[in-house]
Amino acid sequence: MLHIDNLHVSVADKPIIKGLTLDLPAGQVHAIMGPNGAGKSTLSYTLAGRGGYEVTGGTATLDGDDLLALDPAARAAKGVFLSFQYPLEIPGVPALTFVRTALNAQRKARGEAEIGAPEFLKRARATAAALKMDFEMLRRGLNVGFSGGEKKRMEIFQMAMLEPRLLILDETDSGLDIDALRIVSEGVNALRSEGRSMLVITHYQRLLDYIRPDRVHVLAAGRIVASGGPELALELERDGYDKYASAA
Amino acid sequence: MTGLRDALLTRDETRLPGRRDEDWRWTDLRGTLRPMPVLSEAVQPLAPFDAPQGVQVRRFAAPATAGTAEASLSVAAGETLVLLDRVEAGEGPYARDLALHITLGEGATLHRLVLAADSAEAVSMSLTTVALAAGATLHQTVLATGAKRQRIATTVAHPGGGAHARLDGAYLLSGARHSDQTTILDHRGPGGSSEQLIRGVAADQGRGVFQGRITVAEGADGTDARLKHNALLLSGRAEIDAKPELEIYADDVACAHGNTVGALDAEALFYAMSRGIPEAEARLMLVEAFIGEIVERIGAPALQDAARAFLADGLEALRR
Amino acid sequence: MAADQDTVDTVAALAGEKYAHGFVTDIEQEFAERGLNTDVIRFISAKKDEPQWLLDWRLEAYERWLALDEPDWARVHYPKIDYQDLYYYAAPKQKAGPQSLDEVDPELLATYAKLGIPLKEQAFLAGVQGSPRYAVDAVFDSVSVVTTFKAELAKAGVIFCPLSEAVREHPELVRKYLGSVVPVSDNYFACLNSAVFSEGSFVYVPPGVRCPMELSTYFRINALNTGQFERTLIIADAGSYVSYLEGCTAPMRDENQLHAAVVELVALDDAEIKYSTVQNWYPGDAEGKGGIYNFVTKRADCRGARSKVSWTQVETGSAITWKYPSCILRGDGSSGEFYSIAITNGRQQADTGTKMIHLGANTRSRIIAKGISAGHSSSTYRGLVSVHPKATGARNFTQCDSLLIGKTCAAHTVPYVEARNANAQLEHEATTTRLSEEQLFYVMQRGLSQEEAVQLLVNGFVREVLQELPMEFAVEAQKLVAVSLEGSVG
Repeated sequence: MLHIDNLHVSVADKPIIKGLTLDLPAGQVHAIMGPNGAGKSTLSYTLAGRGGYEVTGGTATLDGDDLLALDPAARAAKGVFLSFQYPLEIPGVPALTFVRTALNAQRKARGEAEIGAPEFLKRARATAAALKMDFEMLRRGLNVGFSGGEKKRMEIFQMAMLEPRLLILDETDSGLDIDALRIVSEGVNALRSEGRSMLVITHYQRLLDYIRPDRVHVLAAGRIVASGGPELALELERDGYDKYASAA
Repeated sequence: MTGLRDALLTRDETRLPGRRDEDWRWTDLRGTLRPMPVLSEAVQPLAPFDAPQGVQVRRFAAPATAGTAEASLSVAAGETLVLLDRVEAGEGPYARDLALHITLGEGATLHRLVLAADSAEAVSMSLTTVALAAGATLHQTVLATGAKRQRIATTVAHPGGGAHARLDGAYLLSGARHSDQTTILDHRGPGGSSEQLIRGVAADQGRGVFQGRITVAEGADGTDARLKHNALLLSGRAEIDAKPELEIYADDVACAHGNTVGALDAEALFYAMSRGIPEAEARLMLVEAFIGEIVERIGAPALQDAARAFLADGLEALRR
Repeated sequence: MAADQDTVDTVAALAGEKYAHGFVTDIEQEFAERGLNTDVIRFISAKKDEPQWLLDWRLEAYERWLALDEPDWARVHYPKIDYQDLYYYAAPKQKAGPQSLDEVDPELLATYAKLGIPLKEQAFLAGVQGSPRYAVDAVFDSVSVVTTFKAELAKAGVIFCPLSEAVREHPELVRKYLGSVVPVSDNYFACLNSAVFSEGSFVYVPPGVRCPMELSTYFRINALNTGQFERTLIIADAGSYVSYLEGCTAPMRDENQLHAAVVELVALDDAEIKYSTVQNWYPGDAEGKGGIYNFVTKRADCRGARSKVSWTQVETGSAITWKYPSCILRGDGSSGEFYSIAITNGRQQADTGTKMIHLGANTRSRIIAKGISAGHSSSTYRGLVSVHPKATGARNFTQCDSLLIGKTCAAHTVPYVEARNANAQLEHEATTTRLSEEQLFYVMQRGLSQEEAVQLLVNGFVREVLQELPMEFAVEAQKLVAVSLEGSVG
């Protein structure tokens, strides 16, 4: 699925990611943990193709295709979905309109037929119900006036509607209380499947109680400095990142 | 901007600004000053008295008939100055035009409070120009009780570079008094911020005018500029005129202005009265709270005290 | 961070290029002699077969115009106009008198077909059941080519015809109301219009009648060096309702063309007028060559109690726009609304807004103005809210938002507020922001291309106003917004 090989990324000429290598097979969930400033958000933005993140070396491929050569929309059409740490507000564009526009743009890019309004609405209602979201919220401007928890839930709703193959969850647990965290995690877990991979980026182990990873990687100073099973996350929670700061 | 000054100095009536001049549409001098008074003397600053600790005071008496004064002031880099400008009321009619040019050095701070008292028959103009250097901070508060025609204008040349300007003001008008607060905030370089809060109250046949222009030059990216004017009309014959302007030539900015004009909140009034406070008292209380916010924002405690005392007098005039 | 350079460049590059209505109709036309004098005015009046009172009215306006100065307070810059170098009358040569569609020159029919204007009496969207019908008055340079659905409207008592026809058929109505909202010498351009106006639409809706269909006038400037001076007069009698739409286009020409229109609306007791404009005059090319000078006076008189007028405008065209559709809220309880989208790109300049004059008690007004500037353009909102002493209980809410795309454009907000009643409540908010790179990236991450992302964000920005347009026009306007800024085919 996703192969990252010796990736180097600079932001404003400052190297942030310095030789990151990662293999994420289809159907697996990998967690990336690390201290503040380790390059976690840089990694997620680079994979999604945000401007200002300059790849100075290395490769990232999705099913063998060069991800880094594509613009953000083309990556999305290939199935990359970044759940933002701080989802944006888009005044005047109802969430339903937004998701339908995105879904049809992606389908068009993949050469598939557009989805009709009745079918779309049916799916949207079912998805919203599963996420315990008030359907009327979807008629309002996207994320406008939403709480932190509602915004994250809206990200999961979009994820469920767009059915991406590679999910990147960037600090999805930040700003969520325990109930919201449970609902959001259930939403993510419902999307786990054979053909879908997830990269869960988080500072705290807490989220991993709900979304159980197959592998855990420690990112420090721009590189993966340790990898292991789920137990590695518990160890980090107990001992902190100090030992890796020196390793980096 | 200094139409009165020019006219007084040149004795040329045609230089008086009138309704047809865009910046003077609500502060007509042409129709007001007839005949134009003859310049009596230069207005000399008076000796300060009972100056609070650490505050520099400038006092200006009213001229016998007409007078002007012009002064400069600079605050050196890194220094802080607390300045109180008292413009004192004389008796009867007079015309006065004061100009002050302020320069703030890098990282300098100026706290300035202007207390503008004038006689009800005066025509009283003032213009302050401020040039800020990078990292400088200007906190100015203007409190005014009006005159026959009163204008207090401030223009700020803002270089960006982390400098910050706050231009606050309040006017309390009764009788047939007029007061005009005009500000021009000119953001010329990137990374600057400014905020303005002006509150006004017009009772009787009072007329409050606020004009605030924010300009952001091409290249002045990252500018954050906000302006708010709120006014209360307490009488059916009072008037409020406002023109908050934005003139923006840079795209990476966050600029906003807001303007509200209305009566006292009827519900708050009712609430106070239902607790046994007589209506007149309740009104004053609400007006005091409305204007009080301006005083709360004054940074220098010694200036806050002077501002409170001045407003207490202004409120007393409303009561009469 | 602001919109990235690619976006700015993409948007800027589209200025002037995507104008879809820039073709010229090759047709034989009749002109008045070039320039302006009393003979030309007599010529126009004679062509229209006008009564003496109207000719006198025009001549008086001309006298007054000579004494006026061109206004210079708006934030627009253009070379001095030589008023003697223009044609004030141009008309396609055709048989005189009222004609049926069969008699209209096929070239003209082809022109309107190309512009997508239905001149046949059919549903607006052919083949769509239940879609509303539109009666159309098609004005080509100085004359009305055809007016549809006249017979059916007449059955309901609604008069919808070219103004010149109304002068002949309904002189008492025209004489009563013409110039009663915009006086002859109101301003320089309105005064010029009063002297030389050539064509426009006349609408009268009788008491209690709800106009059975949308009315629309479609203005087309075709002839070279010709000014268009349309004059529209709409009267909604007590308790009536009418919705009126106005569209405008012109060929792409290197010369500037002058358009100085006057629109007068009168709403009597409990009447309601909804007036929508989609203004798409040729904006000039990216360097600012050519384009229409759009100097327009539009005013509504809410004369009756509880009357209501709503102006909605989508301004995407013209090199220069100078336009302030206003409401005089005279009747007690009357209300006025102004919803505006003004988009400038290339070298376009727009100075537009509204005046809400509260005279009566309990009058209400609402202003929502959205300005978008790109390229080297400049967009100014200029508005006045004035509350007079008798307007007890007056309410106004104003929201002005500006969006800037790129570093070489400008956006200004100049609101005037004058309050002289202690029981008025006025509220004004304005913001200026940029198209943010963060928002663009977020939208593109969900699969939209850069152009689609810009379009989505801009449509979100203007949505509140688009919702005020009749549905079909909202769709058209949305496309127009896209074409003005994104270049996706409309």
